[in-house]
Amino acid sequence: MMRAFLKLVVLFVLGTVCHWAGATFFLYLGLSVNLMLVFMTALCSVLPMRVGYTVAFLSGLFLDCFGTKLFGNNAFSFTVAACVVYSLRERFDFDSIFPQMLTVFGLTCLVGILNSILLFWFTANAMWPGIVSLLGGALIGTFTAPLIFWVVRRWWLGNSSKRS
Amino acid sequence: MIQQKIQKKDRFASRRQFLLPGSFLLISFLLMLLPLEGVVASVKAVLSYVFIPPIRASHETVKYAQDVHRTVRELLTVHQENQNLKQRMETAQLLIAQAENVMAENERLNTILDMGPQHRWTGQWARVAYREPTQWNTVIIDKGSDNGIRVRSAVLAVEKEQECLAGVVVEVADTTAKVLLVTDEDFSASVQIGQQQETGLLQGGGLMASRVKYIPLLANIVPGDKVYTASSSSIFPAGIVVGKVSAVRQDDSFQTALTVEIEPQMRAGAVKELFVITEENKK
Repeated sequence: MMRAFLKLVVLFVLGTVCHWAGATFFLYLGLSVNLMLVFMTALCSVLPMRVGYTVAFLSGLFLDCFGTKLFGNNAFSFTVAACVVYSLRERFDFDSIFPQMLTVFGLTCLVGILNSILLFWFTANAMWPGIVSLLGGALIGTFTAPLIFWVVRRWWLGNSSKRS
Repeated sequence: MIQQKIQKKDRFASRRQFLLPGSFLLISFLLMLLPLEGVVASVKAVLSYVFIPPIRASHETVKYAQDVHRTVRELLTVHQENQNLKQRMETAQLLIAQAENVMAENERLNTILDMGPQHRWTGQWARVAYREPTQWNTVIIDKGSDNGIRVRSAVLAVEKEQECLAGVVVEVADTTAKVLLVTDEDFSASVQIGQQQETGLLQGGGLMASRVKYIPLLANIVPGDKVYTASSSSIFPAGIVVGKVSAVRQDDSFQTALTVEIEPQMRAGAVKELFVITEENKK
């Protein structure tokens, strides 16, 4: 139990660091890359529901800490994204690369649009990153997804990458 | 009966399944509703204590890694520069030897012709440590009386690979000194202009051009003539480049002398390192 918790903490910290690095690097290219979402998706694909939802909520709160206009929108959209992952888990085989990439692409777009709507609704601020930025960021997240999924599954499930 | 119980249990389990995400969505929604001050600010502060350290650590790591990269690059550059400087030093050694020969010969000729002895000077290199934003013509250097600098010490600069007059020390502390630059209105020095070596008094112009006064009306001075410090100066060694003539004026008909505008060689806004003459040895 304790070991699993520590593993989860390590993965979460890794996710925050990767997200920071990705966001900082791709910011100069004008792309809104959300690697935290990719980590969250990968974690939800292996974790039980209770833990997965908590991780998604906390990941969202982590991103909300950096916001200045609204607090809680990322927590909301990440929890919605976790709901989507758990509903897809019964239908998709997340051991394969294609479902991983497809899910991440769809979720990045969903979270981006949802965040923009929430920001517009609650603060009347138009924070739409732009279609190029959103799709570019989604594509980068999509192509990094297999690696992140592999790291998460390898770290969480050990040598056997198949979910038990 | 048993089937009903199982169905009821399943329904309860499926409802419970949505309890957690529902709670999280509700909390998030409430957080969004609350103003950013007060409770939300406190929650943010607590979360920042948890989430920010890894980000800060990674930022520091990246910064360190970038610095390592830069340091390695600088080391490589320094190695290249070191090689070039070694070559230049070897050339300089030859030039010094030649200069020493020339100086010895000069001294011998001076003795034969019964001319006054040449002055040689030594000093201290100093960096400009501070520049008062409102006083562009005054700088503070990082050397002071501890390094032998005195009030009225002459200050030189190197501009376009040539030494030139920069100013004079007006205030001295233990480790710093204030230098009045040639462009300051309060600066004055005895100078010589042109091939005829006409002597006049240089005065800084502040925002205007620096001027040399008391040049005879019939002196043959044209723009572009070089201006040097005069041997009659009690502060500055003779023969130091001050600048070049930019204009010659005869402002009114009653004037008995020319006013020569000069463009100082030293750029007051760009000066970074200065040489302060601490000792003028008679040899």
